[in-house]
Amino acid sequence: MADAVIVVALLAVAVAATAAVVNRDPARQALVLAVLGTALAVLFTVLQAPDVGLSQLAVGSALTPLLIMLSVRKVRRRSAHGKDGTQ
Amino acid sequence: MTPRVRLWLVCLGGGGLAALLVAACLRLPAFGGLWHPYGDRAVRTSLARHTANTVASVNFDQRAFDTMGEMTILFGAVLGCVVLLRQARDEHRDPPEPCEVVPPVRRYALIVLPVALVTGLYVIAHGQLSPGGGFQGGVVAATSLHLMYLGADYAALERIRPVEAYEVTDALSASAYLLLGLAGVLTGTAFLANTLLPYGTFNTLSSGGTVPLLNAAIGVEVACAVVVLLARFLDQAVEIEEAKGEMSAP
Amino acid sequence: MNGWIPAATVVLAGGLGTTLWGVSTGGLGRRVIAQNLSTALVCPGLLLLAQGYGRTSYVDLALLLALLGPVGTLVFARLLADDLAEENPAGWGPTWAAVTVGVVVVLVLCAVTGPGRAMVKLLIVGALLIGGNLLASRALSGGFPGVGRG
Repeated sequence: MADAVIVVALLAVAVAATAAVVNRDPARQALVLAVLGTALAVLFTVLQAPDVGLSQLAVGSALTPLLIMLSVRKVRRRSAHGKDGTQ
Repeated sequence: MTPRVRLWLVCLGGGGLAALLVAACLRLPAFGGLWHPYGDRAVRTSLARHTANTVASVNFDQRAFDTMGEMTILFGAVLGCVVLLRQARDEHRDPPEPCEVVPPVRRYALIVLPVALVTGLYVIAHGQLSPGGGFQGGVVAATSLHLMYLGADYAALERIRPVEAYEVTDALSASAYLLLGLAGVLTGTAFLANTLLPYGTFNTLSSGGTVPLLNAAIGVEVACAVVVLLARFLDQAVEIEEAKGEMSAP
Repeated sequence: MNGWIPAATVVLAGGLGTTLWGVSTGGLGRRVIAQNLSTALVCPGLLLLAQGYGRTSYVDLALLLALLGPVGTLVFARLLADDLAEENPAGWGPTWAAVTVGVVVVLVLCAVTGPGRAMVKLLIVGALLIGGNLLASRALSGGFPGVGRG
């Protein structure tokens, strides 16, 4: 029974990672990536590696989404701006 | 190189790597067994040096040199980002427009910012006692400052975050780690050897010799590096505009 | 072996399962709500795991998730404000369901822990989690009405 929680965490990580690859829009990928981060943190916790789990939570829950979404915003503004420039 | 040759090269390299990985996995000890030769030695050493969290002892004492390499990687990566994302000659800065935020979100950000900052410092300070440490706490502390951007606007964040000061502190804390290592050499032992300070009482904040000091240096370094990194990204996303009429380039 | 690990398994399987399904299919609004709920449901799971393994220091993981999870949702709410403005996703039903799970877990653990520093920490985690989730839901349903270029 103690292994059941490890199986759940492993499955969640596998499904989330696949979903992150299958989605093609960067904003949606960032959303899946945020959930993948929490799933990984759970996996590290059940494998008794809380230090690594903490690193994953610290980086994955707010910092990575912020970096990705800022990049998405810059790219979108650039292409919108480009359309105005060619008109 | 034709695409065909390239494909073969990738297949060869990937196949070799896969074969080696499978071969290595077949020789691994069984999952969840009782035989942990490295773990037993690491725990014994960390207990001998009065460090309650064995992971902190491995990171900042037994393998402190590796951590210096990791710190250098982060430092170099942030330096690369600063160079790549600087304001180019054909770009100009527009002052950011203020953002309208509903009052509950603003209140939440202002309440949680100090709480998250204190939590970050707590995670750094207890690195040698409980899970956590400089890296984790530093990232939390740096993230907390950016609640100012989320709950108010970019101008408000810029007021509480002079980037130059964080750049200087980043370099200073990286040097502090190096100097603590050199202090070991000067006292007659070895670089980054944990012989400088008394080991203290087990499971207290000051236990573990130089572990808390190296941990704190890493915490400050990571916090400043993340702030500088996010500052460059925010500058690009919010302030820096390319000159009009030159946008046809891809 | 104790009853906490199976309880954590149920909470985590349910929480991660539903949020993964929500975050990987459907419109943007639904996905953002699912991302918010992943914090609300995984955090009680981590608290139950800490109790099950008998290690109070594992509560730090739940504390960090309760602090930073809603911040992550705020990032999406703020930087996707234009896309979310048409949908105004609130998802109050699932949000309150997740909040109920959080409240029940925190109260049960408080009752088991008894008064002391550990209980204060649990209550702080609970308050941050519930406040953060309700606020993040509020932010998703039009929390940034006037995001220009800022």
